[in-house]
Amino acid sequence: MTASADGLALATRDVRKSYGSRVALNGLNLSVPAGVVYGFLGPNGAGKTTTMRLLTGLLHPDGGSIEVLGRPFGRRDRKRLFEVGALIESPSFYPFLNARENLRAMGATGARTTTARIEELLDLVGLQERATDKVGGYSLGMKQRLGIASALLSDPKLLLLDEPANGLDPAGIVAMRETLQHLASTGKTVFVSSHLLAEVQQMADVIGIIAAGKLVKEGSMEALLQGEDAIKVRVAADQVATARELLGRLPNPGAVEVSDEIPGWLTVRIGAERAGEINQVLAEGGIYASRLEAGSQLEELFLSLTADESASHEGTFQGIR
Amino acid sequence: MRVLRSGIRKLARRPATYLTFGLLAGLLVLIILAVAASGGQGGDGGGGGGGGRPEALLLLTFPGAYTLILQFVLGLGGLFAVIFGAAVAGSEWGWGTLKMAVARGESRSRYILLTFGAVSAFLVVGLLVSFGAGVLAAFVGANIAGVSTDGVGDADTLRKLPEEFARGWFAMTEQCAIGFAVATLARSQLAGIGIGIALYFGETFAGIFLPDIVRYMPFNVANAALGNTGGFQGGPDPVSQATAMLLVATWLFGSLLVAAVFTERAEITG
Repeated sequence: MTASADGLALATRDVRKSYGSRVALNGLNLSVPAGVVYGFLGPNGAGKTTTMRLLTGLLHPDGGSIEVLGRPFGRRDRKRLFEVGALIESPSFYPFLNARENLRAMGATGARTTTARIEELLDLVGLQERATDKVGGYSLGMKQRLGIASALLSDPKLLLLDEPANGLDPAGIVAMRETLQHLASTGKTVFVSSHLLAEVQQMADVIGIIAAGKLVKEGSMEALLQGEDAIKVRVAADQVATARELLGRLPNPGAVEVSDEIPGWLTVRIGAERAGEINQVLAEGGIYASRLEAGSQLEELFLSLTADESASHEGTFQGIR
Repeated sequence: MRVLRSGIRKLARRPATYLTFGLLAGLLVLIILAVAASGGQGGDGGGGGGGGRPEALLLLTFPGAYTLILQFVLGLGGLFAVIFGAAVAGSEWGWGTLKMAVARGESRSRYILLTFGAVSAFLVVGLLVSFGAGVLAAFVGANIAGVSTDGVGDADTLRKLPEEFARGWFAMTEQCAIGFAVATLARSQLAGIGIGIALYFGETFAGIFLPDIVRYMPFNVANAALGNTGGFQGGPDPVSQATAMLLVATWLFGSLLVAAVFTERAEITG
């Protein structure tokens, strides 16, 4: 069985978890459809890693229930994890063993793993040539790649990845994205927690946003980002008012907002495919935009949903003022 | 069995294994060769106030050297076993490899117990290597010091060695389990080693003040199981060897039970 009757590979119902007096999860309800890449987003301290730990049996919930691959998952259901691959927080290995030996050591636990599978995965993550080097000497990116390989060891039906892009170079990120999308296309479910919103936007079919231990939004990427499209335009500071007026004349224009913080920036709430129209309207009005950017819509949605929670929960990184 | 085999393979590749048993064997060889060197000079010099020298030369005199070397290996080896056990258990938590095994659906208690099983198997190898190195050093030392090696093949002593060896391994395994359990509770390699060493020496000193209690404590019963008669004057009277073996088993299985139950119930957050 790979999914419940309602097509879910993973579900949590009113899951609660506290560490002493600190509430980490406060009634979490996730519904992860089978065969998709699910982006699990949330600010620091929102409960993402706690959720990952609960889903892999490292922690047990104080209340609520979890379903993995269509069946209840509790203390006595560890064998359910034979069909689950996980990379939780930083990848963990024996520093004195090489990559191949580490995968063999991991493969000795849980579901049975063949030597051929280990070699296949070393090829997949591009570590075949360094497979005999001790992992203690690996860079963060190489450890991360090995971590992804170890998560894939048992050819899992459900893959749980916590910040898998950590330390990966751009080519590695692209390769990882393509690999995960390919896995989803073969019917596997990929559950990815990440802070890289642009990356998640490109990769995920469905997203769930968590804040202060609760799910605040969940749905398909397409549905959630509807109405969140935006294009950012930069013009000379003294041309902002004129630009605003010109942009307001666009057919079916979205709202035009002027940035209070950085002079010269305007945000037009229309689809990225209409960037050419913006350029044309401004040019015809004698204004030449110095920059034109399709805004990261997911980022805006994320910030609008989590700003309050992240500030109250763990404090916010204020940045240079 | 996969976990046990994997545990043995990991320990075979782990520098700490060679460091631990290398130090034990190295110290033993150094001491024996030092005895040989000083004993040889004493013999050449014709006595001259070296009252301790003839006694020290017993370490080079076969067949008695077999027992003395084994006692030395097991005595000092107890401390090394505590450290080794703590290092292995603590690193499983510190490196996050226990977390990975649990996330793969492995049974927590089975993983911990089989990891200890691998450690225990390595104690046999470590004991054999250290003892072998000691015997070889004693043989070389005897030749340096001009001591006869006629007793090397003494059949009676050689016949008793396996039993003494087995008893010693059992006692060492118990001491190793103490370190293993302590590091499991501490979830840390360094803390486990530190606390393990503190317990080892703490028990020795506590024997001065609480001898009637301390004689039943893990390191004292391990010592008693080897037939040793207390570490120093004023220490507790050892329990009988038969009682000691029973208590060693109790401490061994008790420690492993604590480690397994703690791991089974632990919230793995690191």
